[in-house]
Amino acid sequence: MLSRSAGVVPSPCARCGAGLASRRPNSIQRTWALAIAAAICYVPANLLPVLTTQTLASSRSDTILSGVAALYTSGSWPLALIVLIASVMIPLGKLAALAYLLISVRRGSANGTRDRTRLYRMIELIGRWSMLDVFVVAFVVALIQFQPVMASQPGPGLPFFAAVVVLTMLATTSFDPRLLWDAAHD
Amino acid sequence: MTDQSDLRHLPEAIAVPRQRMRVSAVWIIPILAALVALGIAIQRVWSEGPTITIVFDAAPGIEAGKTFVKYKDVKIGQVTAVQLSEEPGKVEVRAKIARSAARLMVEDAQFWVVRPRIGLSEISGLATLLSGNYIGFEAGTSNNERRSFTGLEVPRIVSANAPGREFLLKASDVRWSSAGAPVYYRRVPVGQVVAYDLAPDGKAVDVKLFINAPYDRYVSSETRFWDVSGLDISLDTSGVELRSTSLEALIGGGVAFDTPASADQPAPAVDGTPFTLYRDRTTAMRHPDAIATPYVLHFGESLQGLAVGAPVTFLGIPAGEVTEVGLSYDPATLEVRPRVVIILYADRLLEKLPSNQQAAVQQLNQDMKKGRAVLQRLVEKRGLRAQLRSANLLTGKRYVALDYFANAPASRLDLRREPLELPVVVGTMPDFEAKLASLLAKLDGLPLESIGADLKNALETLDQTMKNVDKTLPAVQTTLEEARRAIASVDRLATNADTTLVGPNAPAQQELRDALQEVTAAARALRVLADSIERHPESLIRGRADNQ
Repeated sequence: MLSRSAGVVPSPCARCGAGLASRRPNSIQRTWALAIAAAICYVPANLLPVLTTQTLASSRSDTILSGVAALYTSGSWPLALIVLIASVMIPLGKLAALAYLLISVRRGSANGTRDRTRLYRMIELIGRWSMLDVFVVAFVVALIQFQPVMASQPGPGLPFFAAVVVLTMLATTSFDPRLLWDAAHD
Repeated sequence: MTDQSDLRHLPEAIAVPRQRMRVSAVWIIPILAALVALGIAIQRVWSEGPTITIVFDAAPGIEAGKTFVKYKDVKIGQVTAVQLSEEPGKVEVRAKIARSAARLMVEDAQFWVVRPRIGLSEISGLATLLSGNYIGFEAGTSNNERRSFTGLEVPRIVSANAPGREFLLKASDVRWSSAGAPVYYRRVPVGQVVAYDLAPDGKAVDVKLFINAPYDRYVSSETRFWDVSGLDISLDTSGVELRSTSLEALIGGGVAFDTPASADQPAPAVDGTPFTLYRDRTTAMRHPDAIATPYVLHFGESLQGLAVGAPVTFLGIPAGEVTEVGLSYDPATLEVRPRVVIILYADRLLEKLPSNQQAAVQQLNQDMKKGRAVLQRLVEKRGLRAQLRSANLLTGKRYVALDYFANAPASRLDLRREPLELPVVVGTMPDFEAKLASLLAKLDGLPLESIGADLKNALETLDQTMKNVDKTLPAVQTTLEEARRAIASVDRLATNADTTLVGPNAPAQQELRDALQEVTAAARALRVLADSIERHPESLIRGRADNQ
């Protein structure tokens, strides 16, 4: 039996039962929701300490930014730059880029579609590298355990930071780049 | 075969749009995130304690972000800033206090800097050698909250709510070196000197003691306190006396107290009434004599060696003391005589009587006339006389003895005179000198030379005898030889032990010293390591930056 295409008809795959869609369903709303959640998590991720180090003499808690400052003042500015870019600028940049893409789709802008698509591909690519901080903390906590001389514990900011990274990645995948081209075709 | 036009006859698929929810379920995620973040924010604000400021004279070793405020060794806050105070020459320390301790920040709370202190009585704050100084805290009792305090310069020694009581003493001077000196009761340390300072008028020293419960109940209104610092060397008629409580008190000082046994029903001490801190135990425990009768004595001899405070004995029993040593001039006879005023304490003699006789004698004390009649009888019938006696040939100290001299020349007691004058007899000292002189004269007359010759003969005979003994007892000699060898080897053993164990360069000592030096070096290295790790935490991973 034949039928004409009736546009978007979500139906499960006959073989594996996976949901099929010609467009990612509900893309804009879902992306907005995840991006906003990431933005909310970004605040405590930067305000709360991510790492607490204890030495015999004292104990100190570092947020991401104070860690950057400590690295910079102790002279290792390349490291400080890496942490600053990987942990502060990239998540922020990703959120800003997503917001820009979403707004441009909503406005139906037809200009620079190619560039915007490139931007999207870049966000997708960078996403997986943003967990750098979480990995570093995980390593430090596991390695620096010389009780009672020195010990380190993850801080409460760390889960929020991980949440920011995961949520932005999810938001990126739920965004449908084809939406960018809709305006260009009309 | 199928024509394009056929399509038109085909039924058209009509999409029936599902009733969509206008709001996707995905919005739960940002709402959840917002709730969690908000929850954490609220919890942070809620657990945020107050920030207080403490003004110190100096803030040695206090660093922002590193120094803690500790109460009973529990961290209750952290220093957030150290800066110069507006008050010139002071340091202002800001500290964030945990919410749980916020209600402790009341008017009379106290703060001080804890640093290592090594004193004779204790070593405290050793932990701060590694962890750095911290701010000690002691809760107050007031209900009025406060946020700015003045720090104590001297740390509190006794916790405010330690069980026990504080007592105030007045002293003319103190001999200990620092607060914290122990307080002894029957040589058991029961408390501490909490603080001492000059009285506001500068004429005394106010001493604050803290006596731990349950020992504080031994302090009654009759209790005497005395200083046990240093060595008490007293040179009096009973000879040289040397007293010290403990080695610690000898160097660091201390206070002891006791209640005289005579205070049988002591009232509990009243709070705030100052006690006197006596110089020594003897002074402190001196009997508070109720009945003191002065008598005057006119001796006919030199008063050399008689001092104020010298004891007066009655038949050998201490009964009083000399209060005045002087002269008297009689205008009628133009004579200058030595004059001694003594005081007799009837109570002291009363104590020595058996209890069934005490009441009768007590009556004599009450009835002055009767008492004097008894004294008169003793003087006139029994020959009671005062005599200067030498207490100690070495020091030449003398005392006054009241004794019966049956064959003393008769004397009368003039009851009208006030104070009464007791008759005297010549002292033992001139007597002793005369005897010594006659002894020397006799010694002179001894035929010493012939005695010497006799002695020589006798010695020669003895020598002969000894030789015989020598011959007849060779076996004894060999035995002795063996014994000597044995003793010598024991001696060697002991010397060896000496050098290996306690000698100045003994291996044990040497090793101990080395070990201590090692420990010191290790502690220093640890400190350096901690410091460097703290400054370069990344060095743990990346190694030490060599360019620095």
